[in-house]
Amino acid sequence: MLVFVFGILGIIPFIIPHPAVQNVDEYLRNNLLKILAAFALILGLGSLLRVHIDKMKRKGQNWQYSWVLILTFVVSAIIGLFGGVNGTGILPTRIGSFPFDIWTIYLNVEVPLGATMFALLSFFMASAAYRAFRARSTEATLLLAAAFVVMLGVLPFGNRISPHLPSFAQWIMDVPNVAGQRGILFGVALGMLATALKIILGIERSWLGGGGE
Amino acid sequence: MKTTDLLMKIDRRIIYLILLVVVTLPLIFPSVQSVRVMPPVEKLFNAIDTIPADKSLIIDFDYDPQTLPELEPMAIAILRHAFERRIKVLALSLYVQPLGLATNALNQVTAEYNSKASTRADSIIYGRDYVFLGWQPPPLVPILGMGESIINVYKTDYYGNQTDTLPLMQRIKNYSNVGLLVSLSSGDPPRWWIEYAQNRFGLHVGAGITAVSASEFYPYLQTGQFSGLMVGMKGAAEYEEIVSSQMGIVGRRKASEALPSLTYAHLVMIAFIVVGNIGFFIQRRHK
Amino acid sequence: MTLSHDPWVWISAILSIAILSFLFRDNPFYKLAEHIFVGVANGWAVTFYWHNVLMPSLFNPLFRQGQFLLTIPFIIGILYLTRFIPRVSWLVRIPIGISMGYAVGASIPAVSQAYIIKQIQGTILTPENFQAWNAGTTGIIWSVILLLGVICTLSYFFFSREHKGLLGVTSRIGIVFVMIGFGAAFGYTVMARISLLIGRLQFLLGPWLGIID
Repeated sequence: MLVFVFGILGIIPFIIPHPAVQNVDEYLRNNLLKILAAFALILGLGSLLRVHIDKMKRKGQNWQYSWVLILTFVVSAIIGLFGGVNGTGILPTRIGSFPFDIWTIYLNVEVPLGATMFALLSFFMASAAYRAFRARSTEATLLLAAAFVVMLGVLPFGNRISPHLPSFAQWIMDVPNVAGQRGILFGVALGMLATALKIILGIERSWLGGGGE
Repeated sequence: MKTTDLLMKIDRRIIYLILLVVVTLPLIFPSVQSVRVMPPVEKLFNAIDTIPADKSLIIDFDYDPQTLPELEPMAIAILRHAFERRIKVLALSLYVQPLGLATNALNQVTAEYNSKASTRADSIIYGRDYVFLGWQPPPLVPILGMGESIINVYKTDYYGNQTDTLPLMQRIKNYSNVGLLVSLSSGDPPRWWIEYAQNRFGLHVGAGITAVSASEFYPYLQTGQFSGLMVGMKGAAEYEEIVSSQMGIVGRRKASEALPSLTYAHLVMIAFIVVGNIGFFIQRRHK
Repeated sequence: MTLSHDPWVWISAILSIAILSFLFRDNPFYKLAEHIFVGVANGWAVTFYWHNVLMPSLFNPLFRQGQFLLTIPFIIGILYLTRFIPRVSWLVRIPIGISMGYAVGASIPAVSQAYIIKQIQGTILTPENFQAWNAGTTGIIWSVILLLGVICTLSYFFFSREHKGLLGVTSRIGIVFVMIGFGAAFGYTVMARISLLIGRLQFLLGPWLGIID
């Protein structure tokens, strides 16, 4: 029932431009949804902490690292909450010329870690390209041929092979790629609409978790 | 046959080492490669360049550390363009992770301009020339809410200032005062801006995306839903090139510096695939 | 080559190398860095959820400015935490239902317009679409290819009939377009992954080792 009511409340502002409807929609979004999203983080955090605390209690595999996770979370949360977003809170976030505010920690810990994790993918892709990408069939050959054209065409080097290669690569993106992707997109969009309607009408209840009422 | 067996069983760490060397050497021994600007990037450049004086540009910073090398050069190039043309900029983020990176990009380009400025009028002043609105969850809240009133969504900016006290926000009320929104993202946000903000409020949207998403987003460029598109590091290099050549803006061009490494890495990847397939076909023939 | 004197640059570099050590094999340094990443990311998120959302949008208006209507979203948000109390965990469906219902409802007109109507408009043969290619009369050919490609791709994903006869022909053409699209996607993916590696190397060789500017 709730999903149905709020689903309708989500659709109506698109159809009825009356200020009363728009004002209610704005209030709903700016107050209710915003605050619910913030509390949803707490749910996520709680789940994460529960998993790791359980692992520590039963001394599961690599349980020692769970200490590291919880410790770094607690320390960075304290620094952020009490040190402030810009290091202007009640907690001092500098020892001499060494800063440790949340922004510095983010730029020097999270950014390199996150960036490097994804940088690993290039190596795995190189290994996969060598071992697994085989032109076993006509379709696979076509895929590889298109890939080679795009890989060469998008770079300045492609212009040196042939001045038409970059344009050909661009044409591949503009015409056959769009055709294929658009066909897939129609299917995805119709599926999304069907699922959305099923959720609003209560036919799809997997979001309840375990098939409740 | 023994050679092909050897090739097929090569240790993956040798492949990693080859890739690492091929990518590292061009960075240590740099060379300059000319960049040809393609139509999607040209369209985006023109869309930004023709923003009327009374309208602003919104930049949606939605890249995280994982996609920083591809999208930060785009952000910096667009900011240089906007500040050079004195286009007023609103910056925001739909997620919490990109906030630090957005601050970095804004601070870097602002410092570049202010180091050359001689008067207050020439300088880039926060609150007058740009505002960093920050982040409000969930994404639907700012995407739909800014169509009615930006200050109702962002009561305070990222730095904690009341947005209704900022000079720029006296003129920029909602999307009708926005000439273009450019979403720099590694995922779905550009689509959300089209789905919600463009459909309901007619907002013009451009996008800077990671190369992984390129093929999925081209249908939106073809329909005109995107006013322009930058794709990956090459797209960033193209924008750096067009901003440099058409506006004479001088500054570090990180994406362009990476092109030689990218070129050799692509050639090596093609070589890996070709060699792997040659070995595969030889082995299959012998079987 | 001038090594950095900034301790934070060294911390960033050491963490980056810890992640890269995974290429050799899984090891304690990698696991440590991984767990630090998750801990700091969540600490960062908590900071901003508190300072940018909960304080200005809920606690300040509710407790300092007397906007008592915000008690409703506050209580509904608290219901997220019932997820951790098994006896009343069913209450978590209320905030989930509200958030999801609104999002799903708002998506129905949005998806129909952006993914279906606009995409159909871009596919049909109209003078605007011919001119959009900026290729003169060749634009008509590209538009025809696009239309045929979309129809053939859709026919490939039509599984209610066996792919024989005309449907067999169109679905085989459709798979060609799909494969070209996937090949183009692969080509760009290679560029994406290599770019991430280049970004990390630019940091390690630049600010840390001082080998490049």
